[in-house]
Amino acid sequence: MRYFGQKLVQLIIVVVAVTFTVSLALAAIPNSEERILAVQGVNANDEEVRNATLDELHLRDPLIVQYGHFVQDLVTLDWGTTFGGNQEVRTAIWDGLQISLRLMIYAQLLALLLAIPIAVLAAYRSGGIFDRLSTTGAFGLISLPNYVLATVLSLIFAVRWRIFPVLSEPVSFFDAPVDHVKNFLLPTVVLALPLAATYMRLLRADLVNTLQSDFITTARAKGLSTSRILFGHALRPSLFSLLTAAAVNVGALVGGSVVVETAFSLEGLGGKTVAGIFSNEFRLVQITVVVLALVYVFINFVVDIAYGFLDPRVRAGRALS
Amino acid sequence: MSDTTVPTDDPTGDPTSNQATPGTSVTEDSAPATAKKFRRRGVVTMWLAVVWLVFLVFTAIGASWLPYVNHSCDQFADEAQCITHIDTNALLSERPPVWATFSDTTRPVVRDAAERAGLFGTDTNGFDIFSRTMFGARYSLLIGALSIVFGILIGGTLGLVAGYVGRRVDRVIDSIMNIFLAFPALLLVIFIVGFFSDSGTTEAKSRSIVPIIFALVILSIPPIARLVRANTIVYAQREFVTAARSLGARNSRIITREILPNVFPAMVTFAITGMAILIVAEGALAYLGLSVSAPNPTWGAMIFGGQSRLETAWWMSIMPSAVMFLTVLSINLLGDALTERFRIREAIG
Repeated sequence: MRYFGQKLVQLIIVVVAVTFTVSLALAAIPNSEERILAVQGVNANDEEVRNATLDELHLRDPLIVQYGHFVQDLVTLDWGTTFGGNQEVRTAIWDGLQISLRLMIYAQLLALLLAIPIAVLAAYRSGGIFDRLSTTGAFGLISLPNYVLATVLSLIFAVRWRIFPVLSEPVSFFDAPVDHVKNFLLPTVVLALPLAATYMRLLRADLVNTLQSDFITTARAKGLSTSRILFGHALRPSLFSLLTAAAVNVGALVGGSVVVETAFSLEGLGGKTVAGIFSNEFRLVQITVVVLALVYVFINFVVDIAYGFLDPRVRAGRALS
Repeated sequence: MSDTTVPTDDPTGDPTSNQATPGTSVTEDSAPATAKKFRRRGVVTMWLAVVWLVFLVFTAIGASWLPYVNHSCDQFADEAQCITHIDTNALLSERPPVWATFSDTTRPVVRDAAERAGLFGTDTNGFDIFSRTMFGARYSLLIGALSIVFGILIGGTLGLVAGYVGRRVDRVIDSIMNIFLAFPALLLVIFIVGFFSDSGTTEAKSRSIVPIIFALVILSIPPIARLVRANTIVYAQREFVTAARSLGARNSRIITREILPNVFPAMVTFAITGMAILIVAEGALAYLGLSVSAPNPTWGAMIFGGQSRLETAWWMSIMPSAVMFLTVLSINLLGDALTERFRIREAIG
């Protein structure tokens, strides 16, 4: 319980700090007022209009009051419209989130599907040919920036062979399942491959350690089949750090798929943020960043708590320090 | 650049626990013959990586003087524009590399201009892609190196202080790091660069490298601070520190003379891997149009620029992509070799 309390306090501190930073970032931006007025198409020379607009956005208030308004708007989901005025921030974020979440889930699934069997096979004969090949491959994949991977894959599969579209369109799965797969496969693969490499390395290292434990020798002595030992006995206790990494990556992926979204021109959350930065849509960007950061923080919190439940040593270790 | 921060305070690169648990090294020793062969091949690849990096740094520094880099500036007033220009540029638009005999240009061959030109081909403006890539290396390497140096200085200091002093100071520093780690890494960088670069208007965003370096430094501080903190805690409890203290050494002396030299190998190794990550991040910024602006060549911008021409001129983005991959791979190989050399447990991420 004490562990839980400590984590909760940490969570609250981080949440306050994150919202505070993002809210007040607006004040630190060079000539933010001019930029906002320019986007809104307001005549910056007309003193009255100018003041009215700035007052409406609470830009003239003391910083702490600005922060209060920001939190209030955030909690009540009153996110307003974009400065350009043609879209609700809430719908914009919701639209983007749908695409980003889909990409994230597909990429995670594909990465785990690739990583687990490869890691098991590699760990089974560690030092063998398959192990060395897959470890080298994983090392190469980790060194491959995702925009490079996107370029190469789209040259081969979209430009030369024309199997997939060059620019993806978020077609609904229920309307056109084949098109849906075609449109999402390339971006998913680009996200999933480096991820799979990271996961594979993690799991392989843990598995190699697990396979040296006594209970594996026991299982072997009982005459269990190799696949039974690997998947039935060794895999489960080795999944700890892999699942942690996968959970922590959920938040990172939703925000970090910016590059892939740009490469395939998918209008996800990341793409919207970048577009917002270019068009000085501070409000949209602030809300997106806060939402993503909070999702990230909450997932980390849940992982920490789960760790505490699963492994009593973590709780004790934290209580000591 | 996935931020896989394992939530337990895992002392990454903790040297004593490495010696205490020989679990990882058992597998290496179990098959000594293959392991030895494996290691020898590792040495060869490591030296190849070093050769590539030396070549790249040498060419990047000497790009303005070296004979194999094109940079004739006679026809342009603005030096930045002409920097990688081939003499007859209008005639040499989108020519494939000289070795790519399988690839034809779709552009008509005018007068006596060659059908293929340059080691990496030419881009739409007739600029030599090899030269542009080498000039682009200046930005990538400079930004990566400067960011990691500042990151080490600030993050290392924070980590040393947090790990050595402990208690309240440690908790405060750790909380601040947690706040930075709460933002998805790339988004944080984009946020900082996009908003705080001093471009007043939306059009013509001429960016200097200062906000980019600033953003990348912020990105690199928390992981470095954590690594150094974990290592510092381990060494602060060792006998030689107690001995130094009982001899009357001041805290500042203990930190700089006793602890820092021991933490240093882990720091350097991490810095090398970190530099690779930062170079990739800078490339991502450039790819999104947020790095140093045109006409200055950057790798990310070249890759992005060539993407719409993939069908007719694949070399425009594939060649800088290849250089980027080789560079990141080489730096990672080097980092890996050093990790093994100093027996540092690998930092995940």
